[in-house]
Amino acid sequence: MAWLVVRLAISVSLLYTASAVFEDQVGKFDWRQQFIGKVRFALFDTHSQASKKLLVATDKNVFASLNSRTGDLFWRHVDNTGPEGHIDALLMYGQDAVVVVGNGRLLRSWETTVGGLKWETVLDTGSFQAAALVGVQDHVKYVAVLKKSAISLHDLSSGSQIWVENLPDSDSVQYQTIYSGGDGLVFVFGVVPNSHIVIVEYKIEDGEIMNKKSVEAAWMSSLESSCTVISSGILLCVDQITQSLYTLLLQSAEQTEMRQIHLQTLDLEVASGFQPVLTSAQPNPAQPPLSEFFLQLSPDHHILLQLKDGLIVPLRDFNPSYLAAFATSGERTVAAVMSPKNDTACSINLFSADTGRRHLDTTIIYHMDPNGGKPNRLYVHAFLKKDDSVGYRVMVQTEDLTLTFLQQPGRVVWMREEALADVVTMEMVDLPFTGTQAELEGEFGKKAAIQDGLLPMVLKRLSSQFILLQAWLAHLWKLFYDARKPRSSVKNEVSIDTLSRDEFNLQKMMVMVTASGKLFGIDSKSGTILWKQYLENIQPNSVFKLIVQRTTAHFPHPPQCTLLIKNKDTGIGNLYVFNPIFGKKSQISVPALPRPVLQTLLLPVIDQDYAKVLLLIDDQYKVTAFPSTKNVLQQLQDTASSIFFYLVDTSQGKLSGFRLRKDLSTELIWEVVIPTEVQKIVAVKGKRANEHVHSQGRVMGDRSVLYKYLNPNLLAVITESTDTHQERSFVGIFLIDGVTGRIVHEAVQRKARGPVHFVHSENWVVYVYWNSKFRRNEFSVLELFEGAELYNSTVFSSLDRPHPPQVLQQSYIFPAPISTLEATLTEKGITSRHLLVGLPSGNILSLPKMFLDPRRPEVVSEQSREENLIPYAPEMPIREEWFINYNQTVSRVRGIHTAPSGLESTCLVVAYGLDIYQTRVFPSKQFDVLKDDYDYVLISSVLFGLFFATMISKRLAEVKLLNRAWR
Amino acid sequence: MQQMKRLLDVYLALQALFALSWCFSDAEPGPVAGSQSNGDRFKIEGRAIVPGVKTQDWISTARILVEGEEYVGFLKTDGSFAVNDVPSGSYVVEIVSPSFRFDPVRVDITSKGKMRARLVNYIKTSEVIRQSYPLQIRSSGPHTYFMKRETWGWTDFLMNPMVMMMVLPLLIIVLLPKVVNTNDPEMRKEMEQSMNMLNPNPELPDVSEFMTKLFSKGSSKSSGGNKGSRSVAPKRR
Repeated sequence: MAWLVVRLAISVSLLYTASAVFEDQVGKFDWRQQFIGKVRFALFDTHSQASKKLLVATDKNVFASLNSRTGDLFWRHVDNTGPEGHIDALLMYGQDAVVVVGNGRLLRSWETTVGGLKWETVLDTGSFQAAALVGVQDHVKYVAVLKKSAISLHDLSSGSQIWVENLPDSDSVQYQTIYSGGDGLVFVFGVVPNSHIVIVEYKIEDGEIMNKKSVEAAWMSSLESSCTVISSGILLCVDQITQSLYTLLLQSAEQTEMRQIHLQTLDLEVASGFQPVLTSAQPNPAQPPLSEFFLQLSPDHHILLQLKDGLIVPLRDFNPSYLAAFATSGERTVAAVMSPKNDTACSINLFSADTGRRHLDTTIIYHMDPNGGKPNRLYVHAFLKKDDSVGYRVMVQTEDLTLTFLQQPGRVVWMREEALADVVTMEMVDLPFTGTQAELEGEFGKKAAIQDGLLPMVLKRLSSQFILLQAWLAHLWKLFYDARKPRSSVKNEVSIDTLSRDEFNLQKMMVMVTASGKLFGIDSKSGTILWKQYLENIQPNSVFKLIVQRTTAHFPHPPQCTLLIKNKDTGIGNLYVFNPIFGKKSQISVPALPRPVLQTLLLPVIDQDYAKVLLLIDDQYKVTAFPSTKNVLQQLQDTASSIFFYLVDTSQGKLSGFRLRKDLSTELIWEVVIPTEVQKIVAVKGKRANEHVHSQGRVMGDRSVLYKYLNPNLLAVITESTDTHQERSFVGIFLIDGVTGRIVHEAVQRKARGPVHFVHSENWVVYVYWNSKFRRNEFSVLELFEGAELYNSTVFSSLDRPHPPQVLQQSYIFPAPISTLEATLTEKGITSRHLLVGLPSGNILSLPKMFLDPRRPEVVSEQSREENLIPYAPEMPIREEWFINYNQTVSRVRGIHTAPSGLESTCLVVAYGLDIYQTRVFPSKQFDVLKDDYDYVLISSVLFGLFFATMISKRLAEVKLLNRAWR
Repeated sequence: MQQMKRLLDVYLALQALFALSWCFSDAEPGPVAGSQSNGDRFKIEGRAIVPGVKTQDWISTARILVEGEEYVGFLKTDGSFAVNDVPSGSYVVEIVSPSFRFDPVRVDITSKGKMRARLVNYIKTSEVIRQSYPLQIRSSGPHTYFMKRETWGWTDFLMNPMVMMMVLPLLIIVLLPKVVNTNDPEMRKEMEQSMNMLNPNPELPDVSEFMTKLFSKGSSKSSGGNKGSRSVAPKRR
């Protein structure tokens, strides 16, 4: 019975708080973009001419099939992050793609048209070295996998293991590559560095060792990029120190030494310090490779060589050339070479592999993005045209992870910005006003207007109204003009010049910072990339922090964002200042940061140019201000005594608070040590600076008010126990005042472990942990109240709060795992809050905060019903209607960014991970605008009906009166 | 917190009960995933079925998640799946697909590799309701992501209780006098009788009568007042 009441209460409460999507809203204000990451392997499906498939495997452990005509995904499989899902190799034959996953742990074969798994085999442990398709008599039947100490052969159609053999002397010999030329033998090459090469021959049928030989090669350290097999079984190696090529006939018994060919005899020389690279082509795994090969002598010098009758002949010298690749279509193999044309463009040309002759009319011009990186990979898709000539398309990958697919004569078919697969941090910036809007604003903003007197002000007003009218007419004209054009040609093209703030400030600029160091400016309404900027020389382990110093509100000063890029190891940071609307680097001089930066602090203090002041604290507790004009320094001196900041040292478990002195040095005020032997600090979070709280308290059932403890300086510190045993592990939470260092509250969750996700907002903290005893996720909510009276209702001071807050806590079971957690945010904080929970399934759940209320009663009473409290239920409900992204799942959601819009009811949400999803949520429904389903027909028909009814009845009454008068 | 504790106590008791009733050597409390070092890895197998839908239409977007994203598996073209390399423990196995709903299953693996599947129950975590193993997970239909819009129809309007309350008395007022002939003396008599039947105690003063008296008094008073003012008015003039 009690359950029924609970259910009933929940369902009733849902009526008020549901924030669901309606089916007709799909795609109206939301969009999703799917990414794959940095491409490591890409193969074109050459199985049939009409095939559009492009198979890619990426460093994000994603295996996907792209439509090579549009760049869209056919399907995508997202594996585990980390080394278990790492894709080691990708091989393709016909309709099947074979993938080696997890350092040679799993061998998978995918059916590429459907995107389903054909088979999966677990391989023996051992670090993966190489994999190759093995063919017998022109048919590819097997796949061979080389591990550190073993080689195994698997059937291609079923995945069953044919045989596995241990490699001889595997503890001294490093086996690295594998080769099969379709003659019933598999060759395994190993090397003993600076001593000799070991070649082992296996019979395909039963894995019997047919032959084993070792060849002197004192110069060799690694086989991988310096050796390849060409022609009918000739091992070719290159060495930089001796400046020579070496060849070895694999199947001859008499040759026991590698033949040395000096590069000098070919008039070639390897650039100093460059490891030369050999590239060969084996179009069909069941047949021996071509006798032609590329030799890369320096970063921009390739040469096409041919081995003919034991002699090496240069076919064509490509100097300069950035990239070179072979491609096969049918029986013909071609080579594509990218060479620089001028400063901004490259040209790609096609050459026949066997002669080195250039194919006519095959130039593709590739324009390099001035804000992007250099091209570093070239994938070629060759196909036979109707007239039997070879046509081709290329995919170019650049350093900044842009994939560009080009076709002749240089048309960009599609482009993918794969850097966006790894968004680190983001901000949403308001768009600027248009000229007319700015004009109107300026009328009220300028101080001069007051001195102007009455008449000029009237004139100014009239002129601005006239401008508005003009703009409106122009808009009408455009609408009319567009309406006449056919539908297809009218595109809602968004460009930087036409960007302006909309009525309700719903459209914003999303500034996204990616791990590769590429910055993006994306229009939040359509998802169009409006600007991009690649920052070169970003260390791969950098930490980014994006700060909006000046918003668009201060016309004519441009908005300003500052990006702090910090090296994770050294802690040395540097600043990059840019305009978030146009993406242009700002000319403002940036302070040099010679010492590691520990903490940044954005002050509400603004300089004469309306930029907020950013304080950077280095490891000697010295403070650098940016901007650091005289005005700012003066203001800082005045307010120094009220500027506090905190530092976290996780290695020593120390939290410390500092105060700024007038000379920009600091003094230590407090220190809290959390012993690292027992627990370690996992995360520290304050409240968001742009958060508003509308109501100071909550009205209780008995009409008294329970005031919230709204301490803006409160920090939530999450700790995890160092002991990970499930009986003794715990999760701790400390609420510490960031100014005084006072521990406001402390709670411990026993038999719990991380990862802990938490949100700290208003007067509450919500955190999620794993209950290791019951093996489930649990939510816990802490809410702080001052009590029935406020100590000082006008202003909050951490230094003057004698009464500790009342803390209420409640916990709930959450019946799903969690990836990330965030809370909605609205302009004034009137709208009820929802928690946005990112789930591993890719859904984003909008959970009303109402369910996470520590005052939910166990027993329903009159008062609690009046307060609209839902009776306590241990399990949190998950309803599919609460998934704000319906079937647009976001893979590996890592963060959710929420931003207020101009409408109080609306909160903008961006979820990012492997994909990016943008939408709007209405936690209390759209109470301030007419709803989408507003029934205009009904209301107007009722209005007109009433109108006509009055007209008719009036007429009738007149007639009746007249009749009565005649009587 | 209090509630949680109490619940936990209850569950502990339940757990003991279930341990008695089930002789299966329970993995509970299973070793924490990942902390095991003896290297024994097992395979979770099963099949996902969506009735009436071809496998190739949905398998490319579906994944098998074991305990969140700790272990990931993919579906074969026939709908079957296997998640390899899972150490012993207790896991929630879930098939996630943006189009179809599948219920999660808890799979227990003992250190010897013995497996069983049971219903997921986060509240009574040790309750065992056996499921078949290898897993047979049948979809319960497509997801219902969308709320239904409230549409406006004539029937909704007419069946609205407010409208009914207004329309029905109106009908009675308009139609009854026409149906019943009030001029017929017999009829009138009958009606009077029925009214008396309704009034069980004739001595008790009728409420309506009382009210009319009260109001008529008031109105006479007020009319008097009016008269007064009228009589005063000419004097002023």
